Amino acid sequence: MTVQLDLSAQDFKSDVKPIWCPGCGDYAVLSALTRALAELNRRPEEIALISGIGCSSRIPAYTNVYGFHGVHGRALPIAAGVKLARPDLTVIVAGGDGDGLSIGGNHFLHACRRNVDMTYLVMDNEVYGMTKGQASPTTSPDWCNSKLTPEGTGIAPVEPVRLALAAGANFIARGFAGNSAEVARLIVEGVNHPGFSFIQILSPCVTYRPEERDWRQMVHPTDQQTPSQTVAEAMRHLADDDGFTTGILFAGSRRPFMPDRATKASIADIERKFAS
Amino acid sequence: MSEVALFLAHAVALEAEAAERYDELADAMEVHNNRHVAAMFRKQAHYSRLHLAEVMETAKDIALPKLKPWDYQWRTPEGPESAPVERTHYLMTPYHCVHMALQNERRGHQYYADMARTATDPEVRRLADEFAAEEAGHVALLEQMALSVKEPEPDWDQDLDPPVVSD
Repeated sequence: MTVQLDLSAQDFKSDVKPIWCPGCGDYAVLSALTRALAELNRRPEEIALISGIGCSSRIPAYTNVYGFHGVHGRALPIAAGVKLARPDLTVIVAGGDGDGLSIGGNHFLHACRRNVDMTYLVMDNEVYGMTKGQASPTTSPDWCNSKLTPEGTGIAPVEPVRLALAAGANFIARGFAGNSAEVARLIVEGVNHPGFSFIQILSPCVTYRPEERDWRQMVHPTDQQTPSQTVAEAMRHLADDDGFTTGILFAGSRRPFMPDRATKASIADIERKFAS
Repeated sequence: MSEVALFLAHAVALEAEAAERYDELADAMEVHNNRHVAAMFRKQAHYSRLHLAEVMETAKDIALPKLKPWDYQWRTPEGPESAPVERTHYLMTPYHCVHMALQNERRGHQYYADMARTATDPEVRRLADEFAAEEAGHVALLEQMALSVKEPEPDWDQDLDPPVVSD
């Protein structure tokens, strides 16, 4: 019988006050995450939240679950290690678009295809905020408000959900920070779905991208009654995606990766093998 | 689940979420040393909690349903009185703060006015009408307050050395 813990979002918040800029969408993501954690009916010590580097990667400090504020772009391999060593834990990974899709882009591809049972939240603000506003991998090519790219990058942006689908993620969703209840639902669904779940959360950076305040008017829910269950169907839908469709976009059925944990040899056996 | 219990569960969440959001904004303003606006947000959180206590008093003999965050049937993406996070700025002034609170109260009023018009249960209509009248009072107070705050210069958000996260 499952015991109802009756925990609230407040039970998952730490005493550390966020130092994000006022107006940052990450506040609402934190609210969504703690509300989702309260709904998962798991104790704080049964959850690990792993992050990389960047404004959004500070999020473990603001929760009271197990946290690991890792190395830039390396949150996913750390999280995979945690999950494979402790499959009993609910593992959530969090970070930004730069951390996850540029510095950690290679890890992202392999995390998608490896399909370890964990949930990855990318708080996408299309800018490097912590270093004062440079173009990130999801920045549109004509954004020219950075001194580093005064004429824009001229490079097509990475499209995170299409990339995740092509690379093999088993659950793909997109939310908007301004609708934190919906983001909470996506997180719960992602955690409960077996395998690697990827959730892109459009999270405005009002300091370096004030125009992102308009995202509230641009987001729209998916018109799909049920999420695509095959890659081909999801691809067809995403072909017309304007980047602002929210909801669960793909829910696949690949078996999560979990190596056989049975002990096959002792340390002494391995040493003998190396010696021979 | 009775319609009255569902309605009151929404009313509780409306005020609780508004208070929580105002507190978050106050914390954020304190971090950025915008103390005047922080104090104003803190006061709004206090008022939201007073209203929450009133709703709880109304609901004290009714078993309220425990809804998931996404089960609330708002007409807005979040609770109607929750300030939109992205509408704040570390350099915002009392003018912005008052106008933001005014917009929040107007959405709250609209929500209850709509419920008073459309609910099928007469008790819900009565309660919604009562709550809408209270919200109208808050709107009037904030409209008065809005007259007394000075509109900032157009370049109020210009900062030659914008913030960077620091530990």
